[in-house]
Amino acid sequence: MLELDGLDVRHGAVHAVRGLSLSVDRGEIVGLIGANGAGKSSTLHAVMGLVPAAAGDVRLHGRSLVGRAPEDVARAGVALVPEGRRIFAELTVEENLRLGVAGRPNGDLARAYELFPVVKEFRRRPAGALSGGQQQQLAIARALVGKPELLLLDEPSLGLAPRLVDVVFEALEEIRESGIAILLVEQRAQRTVALADRSHVLTNGRLTLTLGPEAAGDSETLVAAYFA
Amino acid sequence: MTLTATFLGADWQTVADAFGLGGIYALMAVGIGLVFGVLRLVNFAYGQLVMAGAYALAFAYERGWPVWGGILLCFGVVVVLSVGMDWVVFRPLRTQTPAVMLVATFAVAFLLQSIALLWFGSLGKIAASLSSLNQPWTIGGVHIREISIVAAAVAAACLVVLVLLLARTTVGLQMRAAALDFRTARLLGVRANRVIGSAVLLSGLLAATVAVLMTVQTPLVTPDFALRDTILVLAGVVLGGMNRLVSATLGGFAIGFAAGFLGGALPTNQSQYLPSFLFAAVIVVLLIRPGGLFARGGQQAAERV
Amino acid sequence: MLELLGPGALVVGVGLFGTLVSISTQTYVVNALVNVAIVVALYVFIGNSGVLSFGHISFVAVGAWTAGVLAIPLTEKPAIMPHLFGFLRHTTVGDVSSIALATAVGAVYALVVGLPLMRLSGLAAGIATFGVLEITHNVLRYWEKVGPGVTTFSAVPETTGLLQASVGALIAVIVAFVYQRSRYGRMLRATREDAAAARAVGVSIYAQRLVAFTLSGALAGLAGGLYVHVLPINTELVYLNLTFITLAMLVIGGATSLWGAVVGAVAISAVDSFLAEAENGVHILGGTLDLPSGTRIVVVGALMAFVLIVRPSGLTGGRELRLPRAFARNVLTKFSA
Repeated sequence: MLELDGLDVRHGAVHAVRGLSLSVDRGEIVGLIGANGAGKSSTLHAVMGLVPAAAGDVRLHGRSLVGRAPEDVARAGVALVPEGRRIFAELTVEENLRLGVAGRPNGDLARAYELFPVVKEFRRRPAGALSGGQQQQLAIARALVGKPELLLLDEPSLGLAPRLVDVVFEALEEIRESGIAILLVEQRAQRTVALADRSHVLTNGRLTLTLGPEAAGDSETLVAAYFA
Repeated sequence: MTLTATFLGADWQTVADAFGLGGIYALMAVGIGLVFGVLRLVNFAYGQLVMAGAYALAFAYERGWPVWGGILLCFGVVVVLSVGMDWVVFRPLRTQTPAVMLVATFAVAFLLQSIALLWFGSLGKIAASLSSLNQPWTIGGVHIREISIVAAAVAAACLVVLVLLLARTTVGLQMRAAALDFRTARLLGVRANRVIGSAVLLSGLLAATVAVLMTVQTPLVTPDFALRDTILVLAGVVLGGMNRLVSATLGGFAIGFAAGFLGGALPTNQSQYLPSFLFAAVIVVLLIRPGGLFARGGQQAAERV
Repeated sequence: MLELLGPGALVVGVGLFGTLVSISTQTYVVNALVNVAIVVALYVFIGNSGVLSFGHISFVAVGAWTAGVLAIPLTEKPAIMPHLFGFLRHTTVGDVSSIALATAVGAVYALVVGLPLMRLSGLAAGIATFGVLEITHNVLRYWEKVGPGVTTFSAVPETTGLLQASVGALIAVIVAFVYQRSRYGRMLRATREDAAAARAVGVSIYAQRLVAFTLSGALAGLAGGLYVHVLPINTELVYLNLTFITLAMLVIGGATSLWGAVVGAVAISAVDSFLAEAENGVHILGGTLDLPSGTRIVVVGALMAFVLIVRPSGLTGGRELRLPRAFARNVLTKFSA
């Protein structure tokens, strides 16, 4: 469904992503792991149109997304859960969710409430009153209400206690079950490799290694991959 | 001693005037604040929108149009100009630093003013269709000009409508979100152009309303119509707190109320220095609380796209 | 060295040009040179610090008032300014002294204003400095103990001709050059580029901005002293219009370089003068151009808006005058061979 073809992203003089090619299909979780600054976030931003693609292509169902505004990419069925959640703290939880619907006719709040019951509980409270873990759930829920076909997540486990990471990763499995394609950027290499159908390791912007879930127990390979 | 004497000596007309002017300034503050919220741009040229509306009213009055015709023309002209400003000036400037944007809108303000000077001359035109509102109402033995009460009432009504719009409609929600974090709002599918266009449109409608209200008490329309007021409103908005619509509006109302009250209550030889006092107060507040009087402590301006 | 020679030569060139034209045109040239002084003053602060100030014309005004009040002959003072403070009423100084005092007063006023205000940046600084402009204008307009108030400042000896204006503008250029090459100037420019990094190496943003602000206040006072000796002025001539046009000159020329400031001032003054003539009817290219009054400020305003939207770094790109690379390499290799 999603195809990255030789994607290049530059931030000024820095070459953040070099010639990245990968694909994500329905009902798949593809992981993108690597050290800090390896280009993982830049990849997601390029897909969403937040940063321009210096070279290469990004295709959704065979149609190029390059050059489109972020809101158009979103409306095409791609949702990004940004790093740091970026929820609207001053708006209520329900208002945050309604934004995810953003005028799309078949937005679905009910499914979001089903997946994340705590969000339903707090729906009239300002989003800023939620804890870190709850906010992360809200951020994912918000991305889902627009019924995306492709879900991008930028380090959803950042700053969360292990128990909450479980909650999030379990939710991701359920989302995978429902047929949504997921591209997951993470620093927690081991859990990602275990969860994803395949995980790509980015080093200095280049794809250096692809691991399957069987490699999750193999710490040597993981460490080697990070320092390649 | 002078202040208490002022208080006690001020008559109901002055109080009504203060509320009227405060209301008008509050509307201008909202107009400026809405655009600032979504574009992070301070529109120095906002007063020129009011000026244009006033000239439209004068145009209609000179030709003997009915009152409603003049008002419609006023709204039409202002909205078109407002949208035009967005297209020609705001959009290309969106990627620039706040300093450049400030100077650019300053330039546009001057440009529009000088175009008006060129087109209409400096003598001024009359827009007196609603001058009947200058007649006094008698309430309980006290005389108050109709316009003071009408202005305050209209302002209050507009603010109520705006609050409902922002709180209850999807567009309002999108504007509030865009003002908090434009980038994330776009990620959720909120159309940038639609939100900005809505803010610009609303801002224009408010400017037109202000033009109608202002021409009642100041029927002489000159190229610097509402210039003084814009400067004061800007000061008031910064004073109240630029980053949030509520604090900006309160700031605008406060400075309008103060200007109206002191303008009426102070004897002439002191009221000459009124602008100095107001601006000195603004500077002092900016030094103590650069975020504004009513802003929440530690309020960070959200990212622009 | 070209960094100073360029602007300096341009000033001298304009001055020399003034000797070649008719007396009526000379007024425009003198005004252009005074504008150069003002815009250079603006540049010293805005260009080096990156902070916008709408208030500098208040220093020009204060300088003009100082020089004007003190330079008017004793016999004329009671007629124009009957309410003047005692010591002002009884003192008269010469031309150069009046301008020197204007410079000093401009510096002091800027220092006093800058002490609290230099902590602000961005929008707050813009509004606060605008407030200073408003307050200064308001006070000068109504306080008749320090000046003529609303009446025109007549009877000031009209001593600013080509020579005085050229010398004044040249002094401003030289001072600005010395400042920007000095440690202080470089430290301030560092804060403009990257405030955090500058702070990390121990540069006090507040202190450096205050230094620049005060210096620019001095230069603006100097310009005001020059200005008041050209033709009779009033409070409206040192208020919003002048603020706008001098900012326009700086922006169009290129706000971040001395060359840009001078080029902008000269270029826009030329355009403005030409348009002013055209408003009175001028013969060009065999035909007559007669523009309606008020066109000039529309054109300047449009130019400024255009430049800001299309090329915010200005005509000069905000860079100082440099020898073109190829030429320099060629010439320098020949000399070192």
